[in-house]
Amino acid sequence: MRWTRISKKNLISGIICVVLLVCTYLIYSDAYQKFGRYKEDTVTIGVFSDSYWEVQNGYSYRILEDAVSVFEKEHPGVQVEYTSGILKEDYPEWLSEQMLSGSAPDVFFVLADNFTDFAEIGVLKELDTFIEADPEFDKEAFYSPAYLSGKYDKIQYALPYECAPKLMFVNKSILDREGIDMPDEDWDWDDFYEICSKVTKDTDGDGTLDQYGVVEYTWKEAFESNNVKLFNDRGTECYLTGDNVGTALSFLEKLKALNGSYNVSGRDFDLGNVAFQPMLFSGYRAYKPYPLRVKKYSSFEWECIPMPAGPLGDNISALDTLLIGMNEKTKYPQYAWDFIKILTCDPKIQSEIFSYSEGVSVLKEVTEVDQTLFRLIESAGNSEGLNLKMLSRIVENAAAVSRFRDYEQVTAEVDRAVKEIINGDSNISMEQIIWNREVNKYLGK
Amino acid sequence: MEGKKSSDYVLLFMKNLNLIIIIYIAALMAYSISGYLKESSAGEFLAKIGRLPISAWKLPVMALCLYAACLLLMRMEEVRGLALAIKISLELVISFFISYILGFCYTGIVLLVLANTMKQFPKSTWKFPFAVGICLIYLLLDFDLISVYFSFIPLEVYLEYFQSDVRSVLMGLVNVSGSMNTFTFLVFMILLVRLQMNEKEKILTLNEQLNTANMELYRANVRLEEYAKESERLAEARERNRLAREIHDTLGHALTGIITGIDACKALMETAPEAANGQLTAIADVARSGLTDVRRSIKALRPDVLDKLELEQALMQVIHKMHVATGAQIEFQCAARLNCLNEDEENMVYRIVQECITNAIRHGQADKIWIQIDREYNMLKIHIKDNGTGCEDIKEGFGLHHMEERLTMLQGTLNYSGSGGFTVEARIPIRWGREDEHDD
Repeated sequence: MRWTRISKKNLISGIICVVLLVCTYLIYSDAYQKFGRYKEDTVTIGVFSDSYWEVQNGYSYRILEDAVSVFEKEHPGVQVEYTSGILKEDYPEWLSEQMLSGSAPDVFFVLADNFTDFAEIGVLKELDTFIEADPEFDKEAFYSPAYLSGKYDKIQYALPYECAPKLMFVNKSILDREGIDMPDEDWDWDDFYEICSKVTKDTDGDGTLDQYGVVEYTWKEAFESNNVKLFNDRGTECYLTGDNVGTALSFLEKLKALNGSYNVSGRDFDLGNVAFQPMLFSGYRAYKPYPLRVKKYSSFEWECIPMPAGPLGDNISALDTLLIGMNEKTKYPQYAWDFIKILTCDPKIQSEIFSYSEGVSVLKEVTEVDQTLFRLIESAGNSEGLNLKMLSRIVENAAAVSRFRDYEQVTAEVDRAVKEIINGDSNISMEQIIWNREVNKYLGK
Repeated sequence: MEGKKSSDYVLLFMKNLNLIIIIYIAALMAYSISGYLKESSAGEFLAKIGRLPISAWKLPVMALCLYAACLLLMRMEEVRGLALAIKISLELVISFFISYILGFCYTGIVLLVLANTMKQFPKSTWKFPFAVGICLIYLLLDFDLISVYFSFIPLEVYLEYFQSDVRSVLMGLVNVSGSMNTFTFLVFMILLVRLQMNEKEKILTLNEQLNTANMELYRANVRLEEYAKESERLAEARERNRLAREIHDTLGHALTGIITGIDACKALMETAPEAANGQLTAIADVARSGLTDVRRSIKALRPDVLDKLELEQALMQVIHKMHVATGAQIEFQCAARLNCLNEDEENMVYRIVQECITNAIRHGQADKIWIQIDREYNMLKIHIKDNGTGCEDIKEGFGLHHMEERLTMLQGTLNYSGSGGFTVEARIPIRWGREDEHDD
């Protein structure tokens, strides 16, 4: 009698215990959401309203809307939703909030600055399985630096949507005035320095310099075009001691010495007093067309060419890429993948980037076709200074930036180091070793 | 029993304390997350913790579900063997997950599991290893150690949402409640150990009492034996005294009277023979009276065997004893019923048989004796014959004479011959079947 009572009690306890454990698992894995679902399938998209390239263009959701209609035609019965009105500056915070409260969209745009954090946190789904399983998908169609920018720790977490390489803006008016020819596309640091030293002068004879060679040409640009790999992939080690770094630093020191004690600013370029300024391709796209051109650079003629090559590097620069990722916890991974594919791999959608955005399509075939050139000419008013083959080559050869956690803080640290080395009086290679140790110490933390 | 009850209360208190701590910590975390959301610093928070935390509402719900499951497991009773091992392991796994959800800032649930295990575990050699194992797991759940192997979000990061002074108080509360749980666990263990010690003490006391009682019993036994010996000796002495008194009172008295009377007779024989004659008559009276007394005494001293046994059995016994004592072969045949003799007659028969066997062995050196008892009309005939040396010249010793005399008193006769062994034949008139018969 007693035995039965106790075993009955144990049995009931065990059953309730198992039920509780199953409930806990369902809550943890979000599987409970599958019960009692009555709405039709809805894929949600995380997107911001303004341009990634920080220029006003008025086409906020144009490309996205087109992609949605393509998707909904392919998947009848599946709806696509997105929250509109989120500004780019608020977008990371908005996305983080959605993630924290467990309501993140199935597919979302990922800003280059946030990509590493998101991959590290684990909110991005690994796309390698989809890529392998999908015969239609061809990663060779992408510009490889753009494609690689969605890779973190050897895993593809996101696909590129649009990109923009860094170009050198040239004030043609100054060059014409000084009787200097436009540099070739494959110009190097020597040509660059020569022009800079020629244009740096006191034009009005008041004893102070008022025309300068270059502005905002930092160690980043110098390192990129001198083939410097500054960090290892995981961001645990810094290589500040190499020869590439040494030559880049001496070059920067030389450039700086041209200006004496004066600190050249972006405003000097806007006023037409500086010959060169590195700028994203999107900037060129934004200010080349008629209305904005008047607003900003009205006092001089300007063009853009690739960055100058360092002695140990090439005419290459960094690529800024806007990525698209999938939510790790999405309920519709296949729909999400299909939608990502439409946005990134559909040539029709990608070609709209040249119409409604300021970036470059990440697909080679889209960027290189003549149709694109016509569009650019149409929007720019003339074809002057724009060479599509050159653009394609710049993008293809762009430096793949390896990003990692705390990338911003680490580059700030390198910033400080470079400034100290250039401003310091002592031997550069000595300083390199000292600062390399400093930065590595920071990385070790 | 009282100790057990109080330890049960302590365990119950511990369970409730853990519930409160779990709710408190989970609520803190949930509140912090929703606070970060409200203040639009979700991005900063995410960057700080480096991984996606469990949603605010899920934290307390999951922790409570797991804790309830753990309590239910603990509630299971009388689980033995492999099932018990599985049960304890499952409890530990659940404790681990609760600790994980709470960012390992509180691992006291393992102590609760340990306390419950100590209470429920049956007495076995496995108890100690299990306890040590659970203790090890508790030690290994240390925050700093486990953070090397697991990525989780420490409570401190959640608490950074609060102002530093509030944060200190909140964190302090977590630590205090953790210490309180440890303290409760200690109290529980002390009570449990005390309970076990009490039981052992009780057993020891009982053992001691048993030993004392045994000792006393042994002593009493020894005393009793001594007493028995003493009382035997006393009985012997009393019997001897009685005999001496009896002899003195009867024989001594009568003999003294007779001797004095005979001395007087000797003196009177010459001077006054008539008076002497009268004196002799008086002496005879005295002697007769003495004899009566002796008979009464003897009656009082009659053999015990006859008191206890039937005559025939008593005879068998004495024959057997003599046989055993001397090795003589004694054949006994009894063709008469001996169960309706009166006391005098029984005594007579017993004495005759006993005397004759004694005589045959002592005087005739016989090694074979035939005894036959049968009935001839109203006479009981006892025929005793042996193969001893016999006796040509029979001197009537006290024994035979005494026998003859007694038989005479019962109107019986005694014949004997000493040639070719010794033969005795006694005839006693018996009034068979008469209830009211009485001799004398």
